[in-house]
Amino acid sequence: MVSFKTKGPFFKLYSWLPIIILIVSVLNEFDFNYLNLKYFSFNFPFILIFFFTLKEFKHFDYFFVFLAGLINDTVVGLPLGISSLSYILICIATSYFRNITIRPNPIKDWFYFLFVISLINSINYSILTLFFSFNLILMNYLVNTFFTFLFYIIFVSIFKYYLKGLND
Amino acid sequence: MASSRDDFIIAIRSAFLKKSTQQKFSLLTLVFISIFIIFLSSLDFKAIRYLKIAINELVYRSAFVVSIPENFIKNTFIEVKDYSTFFSDYKRNKKELNELKSNNISSEIIQFENKELKELINDYVSSSDKILAKIIVDQDSPFLKSIIINKGSKDNIKIGTNVYSQSYLVGRVIEVNYKTARVLLLSDLNSNVPVSIAPQNIQAIITGSGEKDAEVKYIKDGFANKFNEKSIVYTSGTGGIFKSGIPIGTIKEDRDNNKFKVEFYSDFSQLKYVFAEIITKTNVKNTEPEKLENESLVKNPIDVKLQILENEKKIIEDTNLKFKEENEILKSDINNLNNELGNLKNQIFSYKKEIEQFNLDTAELEFLKMNLYYGHKCRRSFFNSKGFTVGSDEYKKCVMNKGRKN
Repeated sequence: MVSFKTKGPFFKLYSWLPIIILIVSVLNEFDFNYLNLKYFSFNFPFILIFFFTLKEFKHFDYFFVFLAGLINDTVVGLPLGISSLSYILICIATSYFRNITIRPNPIKDWFYFLFVISLINSINYSILTLFFSFNLILMNYLVNTFFTFLFYIIFVSIFKYYLKGLND
Repeated sequence: MASSRDDFIIAIRSAFLKKSTQQKFSLLTLVFISIFIIFLSSLDFKAIRYLKIAINELVYRSAFVVSIPENFIKNTFIEVKDYSTFFSDYKRNKKELNELKSNNISSEIIQFENKELKELINDYVSSSDKILAKIIVDQDSPFLKSIIINKGSKDNIKIGTNVYSQSYLVGRVIEVNYKTARVLLLSDLNSNVPVSIAPQNIQAIITGSGEKDAEVKYIKDGFANKFNEKSIVYTSGTGGIFKSGIPIGTIKEDRDNNKFKVEFYSDFSQLKYVFAEIITKTNVKNTEPEKLENESLVKNPIDVKLQILENEKKIIEDTNLKFKEENEILKSDINNLNNELGNLKNQIFSYKKEIEQFNLDTAELEFLKMNLYYGHKCRRSFFNSKGFTVGSDEYKKCVMNKGRKN
């Protein structure tokens, strides 16, 4: 396990790792779409933002989340600000969830995540179709939500190792 | 009841307004900024446009750099896959190349005729220049199908510029920055292209399916029955967004949904380089009067016609030359084939001889065998006065009949 004796530059870099991964993933669109599996897609930034704003919000700057949203919009070709709004809404949801939770439970987190991403994808879909007249396939959104929900538990188990290293 | 509502309000207020440790902005501020940006991006102000271009340039370049490792892995995987089919591809390509070479001449003639007719209709000559562009970002998003190319307004790319892979249509430019541009692929749900379907000559519009293909839409009832799997789809040029006569793909029937799909000639997921067509229009008639006087000889319609005829002649000469070359090749092919035929005939003759010899040998062997058993019965001797002289035909006959038959 990674451990840092002094809080030097390596620790700083390590604590900034989620933000760096977030920026890289939005620039790179980390979603395995090139595998060309029909309907398969998932939203990695949603998982990352949800987990780290829920568990490690001190090192996860909301401003960078907002910035990552702007980058995502530019790369994907969506109207500027849509992804930022989605990401910030996730932050709000996790912040609220953190405030009302006394005893954290991974299963509860997981299903709350499903609720949050469903809501946010609905908002996203509505804005794009109603205000920007985009033609979108609802099925793609549903499948994306489903796979994002499934992948959450896998990525969480990886992120937990990171948190362990950070706290040691 | 009141206390639970208070708790909810406190939690909400805390979520929105409280700046946590090390947070520079409250979430409410960021929400407002996001909404403000969404609102601004829908407006077409000059300042916002320039700001967007600057952001796009920066992000596209960064995305290109960040994607290098992933693209490397992806390309290596594709290359390894390609090597396995390398030889069969080479054979097929060679055959196709020969066919294309012969088609090229007739295509040149058609293009020339096309140009001539357009000049007559439009009174301007449109010359196109295709520039090679590299794809710097190709994120195969499930929602939007677009690519970013490394050519922008600096290279005369405009919104609506047609983009090709080889000579097949890929899409059109929908966003232009200084050194980059976004191309909306034909497979995107928001892409609509007016097309003609050959050989039935049916006009239709194809719309991207959001997957790898497109769907044929807006065709008159009954016309769909005329389609077959060999029908070719090409742009009709209606609406003036796309140039006419650009091949797109072939028709494929989706029997499950009772729809007709278009299978593109290009595989959009494998694009590395594309061509952007920059069209410049030159008026034929609208030349300055002074220039007309000075260059009357050059602009004279007869001269133009002569020029056209000269070009036509050149093409015909080229065609003849090509035909002659093909003739020569065919002649030498025929000679080779005749030689081969002669060789084969000789071979057959020698085989026949061998077979005959073999048959003779077999008969001889059979006679010798029989001779051993029945020779004494047929041979003329002191005790057998009715026998035959050894070596005579009667003797042979007698031996083969297993002795003399009384």
